[in-house]
Amino acid sequence: MQRPNSLGHLSVIIIFMMVMILPLLGTLLYSISTSWSSGLLPDGITLKWYTSLFADHRFLQAMMNSVLVCLGALLLTLVLVVPTAFIVFYYFPFLKPFMNFIILLPFAVPPVVSSVGLLQIYSNDVVTLTGTPWILLGAYFTVALPFSYRAIANNMANLNLQDMLDAAHLLGASTFRAFFTIVLPNLKTGLMVSLFLSFSLLIGEFVFANILVGTRFETVQVYLFNMKTRSGHFSSAVVVSYFLIIVLMTILAGQWGKKQ
Amino acid sequence: MSFLRVDGLEKKYDDSFVFSHIHFSLEKGEFVTLLGPSGCGKSTLLRCIAGLTQVDDGQLFIDGVNVTDTPARQRGIAMVFQSYALFPNMTVRENIAFGLKMQKVPPSEQSKRVNEAVELVELGGKEQRYPSELSGGQCQRVALARSLVVRPRILLLDEPLSALDARIRKNLREQLRSIQKELGLTTLFVTHDQEEALTLSDRILLMNNGKIIQNGTAEEIYTEPADAFVVRFIGNYNLLSAEQAHQVLGIQSQKQVAIRPESIYVREEGRQYPEHVRHPVRGEVVDYLLLGNVIRYRIKVSNVELLVDLLNRSSERLFPAGANLELLFNTHEIREVDEENSAIG
Repeated sequence: MQRPNSLGHLSVIIIFMMVMILPLLGTLLYSISTSWSSGLLPDGITLKWYTSLFADHRFLQAMMNSVLVCLGALLLTLVLVVPTAFIVFYYFPFLKPFMNFIILLPFAVPPVVSSVGLLQIYSNDVVTLTGTPWILLGAYFTVALPFSYRAIANNMANLNLQDMLDAAHLLGASTFRAFFTIVLPNLKTGLMVSLFLSFSLLIGEFVFANILVGTRFETVQVYLFNMKTRSGHFSSAVVVSYFLIIVLMTILAGQWGKKQ
Repeated sequence: MSFLRVDGLEKKYDDSFVFSHIHFSLEKGEFVTLLGPSGCGKSTLLRCIAGLTQVDDGQLFIDGVNVTDTPARQRGIAMVFQSYALFPNMTVRENIAFGLKMQKVPPSEQSKRVNEAVELVELGGKEQRYPSELSGGQCQRVALARSLVVRPRILLLDEPLSALDARIRKNLREQLRSIQKELGLTTLFVTHDQEEALTLSDRILLMNNGKIIQNGTAEEIYTEPADAFVVRFIGNYNLLSAEQAHQVLGIQSQKQVAIRPESIYVREEGRQYPEHVRHPVRGEVVDYLLLGNVIRYRIKVSNVELLVDLLNRSSERLFPAGANLELLFNTHEIREVDEENSAIG
C-alpha cells in the first residue's frame, strides 16, 4: 500500500469534518446567544431559548407526535416487509427482480405529487384520513419501504436460507418455528440498519406531514416551520434539540441492539 | 428386508427429467455412496429421499413403511449439508441441541446426549463458540453431531467434505466412517469424488444423466465397469476404440476396450510372467508423472497413447522420454465395454 501523504490526506479529512460540523456548531452557538447581529461573535450567552422551548407544551407534543408516528410506521414496515422478504427469498426467489422494481416506485413519485394524490383520495365523504396520523402511517410506510426492504433483503441474501431451513425442518422444526428461532435472530443486522435509516429519514420528513396533516397532528418539522417567524435563535434551539434527541435515541437503540 | 427401499423414483422440472426409474435399496447399517458428476441428479435424489423435494412418481419405503408422502420432519432422517447449514445465532451446544429441543427431549437427557455427541466428534471445549468462530472442518463436525444426536434412522450426507481442504477432508472422512461403523448407522453419502467413494463405501451407486448406471462394491465398480462412462469416470483407464484395440492388442472386438494403467507391464529381463500376461508390443515413452509411490508413463504404441502405472521402487527404474520399452498386458483385466447408454433399474 502506498504510504499516506499525511498532510494532504489530513487536510481532506479536516475539510470534510468542517463541512459536517461547522453548520451544527454555528446553529448551536446561535441557539445560546442573546443576540448575534453586528459582531463576529455573539453579544452574550443565554439558555432562555431552550427554557422557553421546553416550556412550550406544543413543542413537546410535536416531538412526541413525530416519534410516535415514526415508530408506528416502522412497526408497520417491519411487520409487512420481513415476512414478505422471507417468503420471496424462500418460496418465490423468481420474484426478487419484481420486488426490486416495486420498492423503487416510491422514488419515482415526488412526495409533493403523491401528497396531492393522497389528499384527493382520502378527503372524500367515505374515507376521511387526511388530518389524522393514520394517513401519515401509510405515507411513511412507502417512504421507509425501499430502505427497509433493501437492508433486510441484503441480510437475507447473505444467509444460506434454503439449507438452514431444510436443516431445521429435518430436525423437527416447522417453518413458522424456524422463522422465529433461526431466520429472525439472524436478520438482526439488517433490521437495525433498516430501523436506523428509516427512523432518521422519517423523523425529518416535512412534505407529507405538512400537506396531509398540518397542524392537526403537528410533527416536529411542521412545528419548526410554523415557528420560523418567531425568532432565529428559537428555531436554532428547536433544530439543536431535535438533533440531540435523535442522537440520544440512536445511541439508546444501538445499546439495546448490542444487548440483544 | 431392505431398510431403505427406493422404488421407481422420478423427478422432473418442467418437461425435463432430473432422474427417472431409480430403484435401489440399503440394508441396515450399510454405507452406500451415490457417485456421479455434477448435475447428474444425485443431490436432488437425496433431497427427495429426505422429503425436502417432492417426487413426481415412485415410492420410498423406510423399514417397510411407505414414507413417500410423509413430511421431512417425520421421516427420522438426518442430513449433513455441504454448506454445513449451521444456525449462526446459536452456539455449538445450541446447534447440536436444536433437534432434541424440537423433539421435546427433557433438558437433563438433552444435556447428556449433547455431551456424548460433542465427545464423539471431538469438539470438547468448543461448546460455547459460535459457528463464525470455527474452522470449516469444525463446522462440519458440529453439523454431523447435530444430525447424530437425534438418533436418525438414516443419515444422508450431501457432499459434506467438498468445501474442506485436502488434509482436513481426509481426516474427517476417516472419522466419519469410524463413527458410522461405531453407531451402525444406515448412511447414504453423495459425492462426485471417486476416490472418496471408493475408500468409504460398502457399496456404490454410480449415477449419470439421472440414471443409476452401476450398483456394486468399490472393487466391482473399479474392476468391472459397466460402460464407457464408468470407465471414464472411475480411475484413469485406457479406453481404446475397436480399431485401436486391434492395432495394439490384436483383439477383434465390436466394442470399445478398457484396460487399467496398472494392468500393463514393462517387460523385465529374466522375469517369468504368468500365462495371462501377454500381447507383447513395443512402445516409446512420451513423458511421465511422479505420483508419489506410482510413476505414470505416457507410452506411444502404434500412434496410440497408453497410460502405464509402475511402482516407484527406485530411480533406476525411471524410464526417460524416448526410451523404447516392451509392454505386456494382463488379459484378465482387459474389458470390452458398451457406449454410455446402459442403465439398470
